[in-house]
Amino acid sequence: MADFTTSTHRAKWIFTPQDLKDKYKAANHRAKQMLEKYGSTRVDVDLDGTLSYPDILTDPKDNGEKHSRSKPLKIDEEQLLRAFYEFKIQDVCDAFKFPRKIQATALIYFKRFYLQWSVMEHHPKDIMLTCIYTACKAEENHVSAEELGKGIDQDHQVILNNEMVVLQSLGFDLIVYSPYRSIDGFIDDMEDFVYSNNGQLQLLKDLHETAKMVADKMMRSEAPLLFSPGQLALAALRRSNEEHQVLDFERYLNNTLSRQHPVRTVSELTAYLNAIDQLVNSLVTPTAADMKHIDRKLKYCRDPGSHEKSKKRKHRSKD
Amino acid sequence: MTDVDQLIAKKVADRYLKREVLGEGTYGVVFKAIDTKSGQTVAIKKIRLGKQKEGVNFTALREIKLLKELQDPNIIQLIDAFPHKGNLHLVFEFMETDLEAVIRDRNIVLSPTDIKSYLQMTLKGLAFCHKKWVLHRDMKPNNLLIGPGGQLKLADFGLARIFGSPDRRFTHQVFARWYRAPELLFGAKQYGSGVDVWAAACIFAELLLRRPFLQGNSDIDQLGKIFAAFGTPKASQWPDMIYLPDHVEYQYVPGQPLKTLFPMANDDALDLLSKMFAYDPKARISAQMALQHRYFTSGPPPTEPALLPRPPPKRESIDSKPPSEGGGGGGGPTVLSPSKKSKRVMPHQHDHGTETSGPAPMSLDFSVFAARPPARPTINRFRIIYNFKLLCNVADRSHLKRKLDLEFQIPEED
Repeated sequence: MADFTTSTHRAKWIFTPQDLKDKYKAANHRAKQMLEKYGSTRVDVDLDGTLSYPDILTDPKDNGEKHSRSKPLKIDEEQLLRAFYEFKIQDVCDAFKFPRKIQATALIYFKRFYLQWSVMEHHPKDIMLTCIYTACKAEENHVSAEELGKGIDQDHQVILNNEMVVLQSLGFDLIVYSPYRSIDGFIDDMEDFVYSNNGQLQLLKDLHETAKMVADKMMRSEAPLLFSPGQLALAALRRSNEEHQVLDFERYLNNTLSRQHPVRTVSELTAYLNAIDQLVNSLVTPTAADMKHIDRKLKYCRDPGSHEKSKKRKHRSKD
Repeated sequence: MTDVDQLIAKKVADRYLKREVLGEGTYGVVFKAIDTKSGQTVAIKKIRLGKQKEGVNFTALREIKLLKELQDPNIIQLIDAFPHKGNLHLVFEFMETDLEAVIRDRNIVLSPTDIKSYLQMTLKGLAFCHKKWVLHRDMKPNNLLIGPGGQLKLADFGLARIFGSPDRRFTHQVFARWYRAPELLFGAKQYGSGVDVWAAACIFAELLLRRPFLQGNSDIDQLGKIFAAFGTPKASQWPDMIYLPDHVEYQYVPGQPLKTLFPMANDDALDLLSKMFAYDPKARISAQMALQHRYFTSGPPPTEPALLPRPPPKRESIDSKPPSEGGGGGGGPTVLSPSKKSKRVMPHQHDHGTETSGPAPMSLDFSVFAARPPARPTINRFRIIYNFKLLCNVADRSHLKRKLDLEFQIPEED
């Protein structure tokens, strides 16, 4: 499907930075309220997408106690956790030697899912696996849930259990566009632009490779929710060109836009590319230490019982 | 309401009022319903969940995925998809009948402009798919549904695929045999939109003849039937033919003039037909070009869809016809086109070329169409999925990666 202009991706899944902020805030707020009311944030999912929420707490004293123990994740902690698992998605896809397209699709599914849910409600580890599984299915590169689960030592039933809630949260919009095809297209176009001789062609190859690596990084930022794949591709190529100095990028942009009937001017486009650059620059890769703290918090939110158990265990060990 | 609230509300709120069952489809029951939100009549496909080891039905997912992106007057509209009580529900616009029922109905006379209209709508839907880089791969009269206003729409995208990447290999086990292009019968794995055009040509021929045109009973026989009609292709006609994986030498037969095969068609119709039936897929006319052919642009214009002859609506047929009609009794469930999907999956015992020709098992309710022609062969989806898995097994993945990285896309500007 090579028509982004009429796609659900363009119509429904490109947002403004404020949209994203609001959505993350709303999901976080809902999970917080749930923790207050029920003492747990965990939403259980059935094969057919049926959701079950924790039982309401009847004893207000109990409520108060639990509330004091399980602290909800803050919005930025949620973001760190998502970033961690987005990194993991790339790891898993690399381990299976999946094509970049599948990796990108899985990442976009994951990002779209958490526009609607808090990580406190659905554990990102489970959702990550289901997103990879569903991406393989949608990209016609089918891998059985069992094979996928086995390869990374995870229970494949979890993958299947979450399939429906993921599909539903994606609104069943499964065709997504990643920057890689656009990068290929621009590289092809640049071959004409640089009057290719042999030396230039090798340089273009390097430019291409680096651009794809930049795009890999980009896919872990918020950029894919804010910009079109074509803009992401140009930003990746511009960044790559800064390293390789293959062509006058400004001139290339002018040239490309002048050949079409552009909806945007070069300066508008440049502003977009700068914004994408900014997002890539501010990308943090969470460390294991960061994760340990957040992960423990998440565990208590989702399953307060484990908190008590561990306390008891500690208590016992003191005796 | 937030998105999540909507998800939850949809499950409890009965947006759809259930009406009669229309039939048993490939992957579950199809029933008629009223969409209380729009007042529109819809057809809902119920797909059982949790029965399969591999989660949500692959075919259903493919159909959802593509139909979500394909919005066109000549393509069936997927209105909604949601899980409910252990089933995935796909909500489609309700279609009254299908082109197969029109062709079969002996009470219907199809004028040349009626045929022109049906073919035009078929090609419009197809041209739209191809423009969006989607191959339908299962074009046949009973997948062309006809709405209450006479509009024809392409349906059943369960075999459809995105194409256009160089070097991408597909299975050749697609289409019901009678609609399969010669390159597929010769085992081509890299093919394009020409396969759909060939099938559309078969449908065009079927509209003219009022019976399936090339009724082969095996893949070998199918090629035999094609060559008997148009003559064995010469190398000059189709240079790449000899390189196809399953190519075998056929004894030369001369073929017949199109005018003899289709005495009722005028010269423009025959010229278009010959271009759609071109042997070399590279030389075959595209759906878009076919729409610009003289057949459509000159002579009497195509009949308005609303004025097209079609079988009486099922309700009327039940009320007005004596119960003995059709042999099934008047009160039985009406079988509209979705129900016929039940005959889709028919396991062939042998590989292509040695398939047995006997009628395949069918669970179709025959009561609606009294005397039916011999079983229409269809393709076996199980085999496709199996083949596909073979293509994508671990050993092959690096290969696939290389291919995918070669994918080219016109740069998008916004």
